[in-house]
Amino acid sequence: MAAGGTRITPSTSDDVDAGSPGTSLPRQAPIERVSRIKRWLTKRAYLLMLVPALALYAIFIAYPFITSMYYGLFNWSGIGPLTDYVGFKNFQYVLSSPQFARQFFTAILHNLWFFAVVTLLTVGLGTVIAHLLTRVSHRSSRPYQVIYFLPYVLPPVVVGWFVDVYLQPGFGVIPNLARMLHAEFLDQPYLGSISTALPTIAVVAAWSSIGFAVIILLATMVGLPGEVLEAARVDGASSVQIFLHIVLPLVRPTIVTVCTLNFINSFNVFDLIYVLEGPLAGPNYGTDVTGTLFYRTAFGGGFDTAAVNLGLASAMATISFVLVMLVSGILVFLQKRYSVEY
Amino acid sequence: MAALSRRRSGSRGPVFSHVVLILGVLVILLPLTNLVLMSFMSLQDMAASPIGLPPTWHFSNYADAWNQGNLGQYLINSGIVAVVSVAGTLLFASLAAYVLARFRFRGNTAIYLLFLAGYALPIQLIAVPLFVMMVNLNLINNLVSVILVYIAGSMPFSIFLLVNYFRTLPKELEEAARIEGANELQIYAYIDMPLARPALTTVALFNFVGAWNGLFFPLILLADNSKMTVTVGVLSFIGQYEAQWNLILPALIIIMIPTLLVFALASGQFIRGLTAGSIK
Repeated sequence: MAAGGTRITPSTSDDVDAGSPGTSLPRQAPIERVSRIKRWLTKRAYLLMLVPALALYAIFIAYPFITSMYYGLFNWSGIGPLTDYVGFKNFQYVLSSPQFARQFFTAILHNLWFFAVVTLLTVGLGTVIAHLLTRVSHRSSRPYQVIYFLPYVLPPVVVGWFVDVYLQPGFGVIPNLARMLHAEFLDQPYLGSISTALPTIAVVAAWSSIGFAVIILLATMVGLPGEVLEAARVDGASSVQIFLHIVLPLVRPTIVTVCTLNFINSFNVFDLIYVLEGPLAGPNYGTDVTGTLFYRTAFGGGFDTAAVNLGLASAMATISFVLVMLVSGILVFLQKRYSVEY
Repeated sequence: MAALSRRRSGSRGPVFSHVVLILGVLVILLPLTNLVLMSFMSLQDMAASPIGLPPTWHFSNYADAWNQGNLGQYLINSGIVAVVSVAGTLLFASLAAYVLARFRFRGNTAIYLLFLAGYALPIQLIAVPLFVMMVNLNLINNLVSVILVYIAGSMPFSIFLLVNYFRTLPKELEEAARIEGANELQIYAYIDMPLARPALTTVALFNFVGAWNGLFFPLILLADNSKMTVTVGVLSFIGQYEAQWNLILPALIIIMIPTLLVFALASGQFIRGLTAGSIK
């Protein structure tokens, strides 16, 4: 991504010169300065086209981003002016207080656990599916892609309630079927037991997003040099060997990309958990992630902090942001290192 | 694509591939079909025979959900949010991307990277200040607040995709137009925009789905029932009719129809757009 910004053809600035009306003005001494300013302005009038996007982005994304870090330095309930400056106390409280730090680190662990399950499924099954898609005809590959991608466009809120219809103890489809088939061991409170709730939700998230992984992995696989694969086949490599020893290493950069996106998404996960387990992220905070902990801290619903604390929430968000940026940075670095030219 | 996909060899031919791929299709389509069928069942039938066709079809489930759920209002609100924010995104992102892709000036790369950086930004980090800002602007409980956040938030993805697309367009047409005396705005509007239609469609589709499906910002910025979007609205509906699945399921299906329609009409564009934007 970083390299992309510099790839601008040098010819464009010349084109602008050639086209701008300023260049054709007669060279008269008194108005020369005015015309030079005018020329400079007309030459750069195109910058005005950047303004709306930049302004909205600055006001509603960049400015909140900076103020969020600033709010973290105050003890503030959101009402009244920012007066109670506490320095880094909020950050300290998030990271090392007996009341909050444990919740925070548990939430981070849940995010990581969620990331691990989602990634294992989307990358593991995703590479296999993408590889199989390269082995069927182009015409039959398309409908598969469309269907695999379908869950990605469903609202997470709807997916969450669908899952509830399936898994609710007593009424749910799965417990119901389990009882009918006398397979009582399947009649579990999947979402209500601390050991299964988070993995279950992660599996649902993987179900929703696997299509995304499949499509971008497939795009890379289709671009692989056919001669290499052909040569391996001629040499008698089996299709499993080709997949493991040729395809997988070559798509490693894309796998890292999927991991990076999964990582960012896993730290943003909120909808599914909010819908299935409520803001308290039950059972007994068993599915509490940074998103839900943040929501309770900032907008209420917490247990030991009945009052909202926007300063604390902002400090917490800043810390998790730094963490996500660090790990994403490492992943992007890995992706660049694994990239090969062919 | 063609060269690779048509080649079939080895012991496991396409038949094996199809078998595995169809299994995957079932994992996705079976529950969805089942849920749609269940939405036509009575509560008793859902519990007694959740799998298979409804013993009796209760089409009235949908009418009941519609009448009791205020769904029309939610759909209109979500429609306004999605359509206005997509229109804003298309206009502003394409203008900015055109400049970033076509002109060399000091700060170009910096601005581009600034936009891209937003992609990794967790929404929690901007939630509190945005909430406070919207309170101060008196925009809480106003769809405008959500629309503004969505337009601004869609810039990273949209600008990334459009800049890359504009860069692939041939410059000859633009040069010809410049010689004819067209200004930058005209070149943008009459040459680059029509050429960029595929990329613009992708941007529109992804942002429409994102805006329609989004929960977090409507949840914190909208409070009145009359202002809620489908996602928040359906949550309050479910809270009200707890366990009445014969109302809840139809409501859930109704609110996802618009995204499904958009996807059905343009699934190819979704997939192509994703592929174009993601290769390296």
